[in-house]
Amino acid sequence: MHQKGKDAAERGEKNTMDLVCSLAGIVNPAIPRQGIRDLSNAGFENVFLDMGIVCGAGELERFGKPKSPGWGPLDRAAVTEGTAKGKPVKENGCPDEKETVAENPSMLGSCFEKLFVQCQENRLSIPIARAPYLYRDTKRADLNGLLTRIVWESIRYCGRVGCPKLIVRPLFSGISHGKEWEMNQEYYLRLTDLARENQVMILLENQCRAFNGHMVRGICSDGRTAADWVDRLNEAAGEERFGFSMDVGVCNLCGQDMHEFVGELGDRIKAVLLRDCDGHQENSLLPFTCVGAGQPQTDWLGLIRGLRRIRFDGPLILDASATIGAFSPLLRPQVLTLAKMTVGYLKWQVEMESLLKKYASIVLFGAGNMCRNYMKCYGQTYPPLFTCDNNPQLWGTSFCGLEVRPPEVLKELPEDCVVLICNIYYRDIESQLRKMGIQNIAFFNDEYMPSFPFDRLKEV
Amino acid sequence: MVRIGVQTKNVVEDERPEKGFEMLRKTGFSCVDFSLNYYLTNTSLYRMERNSFFDKTDQELEEYFTPHRAGAKEAGIRIHQMHMPYPIYIPNGKEELNDYLWQVVAPKSMRLCAFFQCPYIVIHGLKLARHLGSEEAEWQQTERFIHSIAPLAKELGITICIENLYSSVGRHIIEGPCCNGRKAADRIDRINEEYRAEVLGFCFDTGHANLVGLDFEDFITDLGDRLKVLHIHDNDGTGDLHQIPFTFTKTRENKASTDWEGFVRGLRAIGFDRVLSFETAPVLSSFPGEMKEDVLRLIGRVGKYFAGEITGKIPVAGLSSSIAVADKQKMTKFPGSS
Repeated sequence: MHQKGKDAAERGEKNTMDLVCSLAGIVNPAIPRQGIRDLSNAGFENVFLDMGIVCGAGELERFGKPKSPGWGPLDRAAVTEGTAKGKPVKENGCPDEKETVAENPSMLGSCFEKLFVQCQENRLSIPIARAPYLYRDTKRADLNGLLTRIVWESIRYCGRVGCPKLIVRPLFSGISHGKEWEMNQEYYLRLTDLARENQVMILLENQCRAFNGHMVRGICSDGRTAADWVDRLNEAAGEERFGFSMDVGVCNLCGQDMHEFVGELGDRIKAVLLRDCDGHQENSLLPFTCVGAGQPQTDWLGLIRGLRRIRFDGPLILDASATIGAFSPLLRPQVLTLAKMTVGYLKWQVEMESLLKKYASIVLFGAGNMCRNYMKCYGQTYPPLFTCDNNPQLWGTSFCGLEVRPPEVLKELPEDCVVLICNIYYRDIESQLRKMGIQNIAFFNDEYMPSFPFDRLKEV
Repeated sequence: MVRIGVQTKNVVEDERPEKGFEMLRKTGFSCVDFSLNYYLTNTSLYRMERNSFFDKTDQELEEYFTPHRAGAKEAGIRIHQMHMPYPIYIPNGKEELNDYLWQVVAPKSMRLCAFFQCPYIVIHGLKLARHLGSEEAEWQQTERFIHSIAPLAKELGITICIENLYSSVGRHIIEGPCCNGRKAADRIDRINEEYRAEVLGFCFDTGHANLVGLDFEDFITDLGDRLKVLHIHDNDGTGDLHQIPFTFTKTRENKASTDWEGFVRGLRAIGFDRVLSFETAPVLSSFPGEMKEDVLRLIGRVGKYFAGEITGKIPVAGLSSSIAVADKQKMTKFPGSS
């Protein structure tokens, strides 16, 4: 086994690409019961604890400033960064409503007590969390010490509840260009002993930088540099104590080639945070909901190709807090069901090749473009026995090297042979096959193929 | 010595090219980026249409451009860089069209570049990553194209410049070919070593970089002396608008939303002493025609401003102070640190 895999196994981590849903926008830590049940009923078994729900960027921004009337801790559960800054509420789940986590970091863990009880009752585990963080456009360069204390408390809390991974964003405020590594090296290495003691892996995260309102690439947004940081931190720690969490929303804001980014980081990526946005404003939308010209605005193809390339098997975290929060509480159970299916779909796409691997033999249904794409990308590695089609004119012909047969022949297939539907009329064809008594049916999809080759490129 | 240049498009007209070059001289430019791509446009090529401009023989092309060359010389304007028509390959184009682009348009462009005694020609890499599956596979095709013209570049003493480009997903612009400065530097070095000549360099396009949030300073310093040519222009971070630097703001503080400070710091760090060339032709079609000279003067003035900031030879108040502040190191103390 690869050394890093060994380390993970020793920590008792399982590698199954868990589907994890962020609590932000869904669960109020002060009154968590309904939100947690909604998540559980939607089929989620894991939740992502963004600790910003009890210690938001707005609260940190106001730290040390005179309190104005109506001031109160931020309800980060109802907002997402960049969409509704600074909305004060009366309670956030913390025991002392007069004091904030920023003022007293040691109370951080107690803010999650009710929430944790509900998670346990609903058998939801917390495989990953994120420590509180500052606004990207903060002008406060004096909060890094406070952040460090809050991160210490975050690590202690993770240790207490058995959460094995904690995302800790790099420090950026007040750090000049060229000094990022120097300052963050010190910052992260100061966390090492406590992280080890609490059996927590610290994950760095790619950042964007607000340049006069324009989001541009920030710390750890360069894959090779980020990989170097992780390696150097692990070397200094003497073990694999540091990893990386990829924020897809940030990559999208910076127009990054996600395939390349993932490739550069490789197996240092221990978690992927899925969220959609328009590429200009930071947001946390449900994947595929931000569209332009009838197309998604996020390069899901690049992401999926990249994750396949590194055989990613860590947690896929969904942060659709803005989308979900925008729906009426009456509709949230249905939205969460869709959210679960969406993240499940992305997992299915990433795992496409490993799914093909498990079939003893394959027959395709469909003799069109999807069949052609299957044959181009997977035909050699996972050769089908033949393909079939409802068009009688194709029967007996050859398509992409496959014989095209009538659907009736599928009745004679051995039980361990799967029929892969290679046609967008999935449900129609599935119904047809079921009526024929065929049970071993699966779907193929060519939206995110490893390549879409041109035959026209020729040698000069 | 840093010089200031601008595109010929929308200034130098074929009917009386000398008039355009004279206007450029008058408005403060000493160099131009010759817009050869204007003679076979990308918009027509994407419609699978091509005109017959490059059907002319080399001699006919040279005759066609003789007044341009003479006009530039008369005005004391140097043709510092040229843009080859693009795209050079159309993924779903007919074979004969793609062959024409590679085998006719490209070499004729190179020879025209030499005719103008222009040392740099900018090309666009092929945009094929989504189709071929990776940036590396895409680059291999671009490199194939470079190898098809590199011997000619060596023979003619021209440096081909690859440019950072963008691609799109829906209506969102994402990075395209040559958006990784370190990779570009490695590739340039490898190819130049192979030809034992500086056949390949880089053209940094500020507008394209801004669209995909590249860190200007890092990118430029990664390139170092491989950076031969600039395409300076501004946009709102959303569309490739080719406007004058400092045009766009995004907050109520009304500060430029493009990182011109990083741009200057990067060029200063590598000791850039070539041409600050503006790719701002759309500005000239947007302003009323009678203001053309005023607009050109403004573009030229911005160029001089950058030149002063980069070299320190023309001190100008304003930007220098903000850059100086950003240059200062602000140390952060952690709990327990001494």
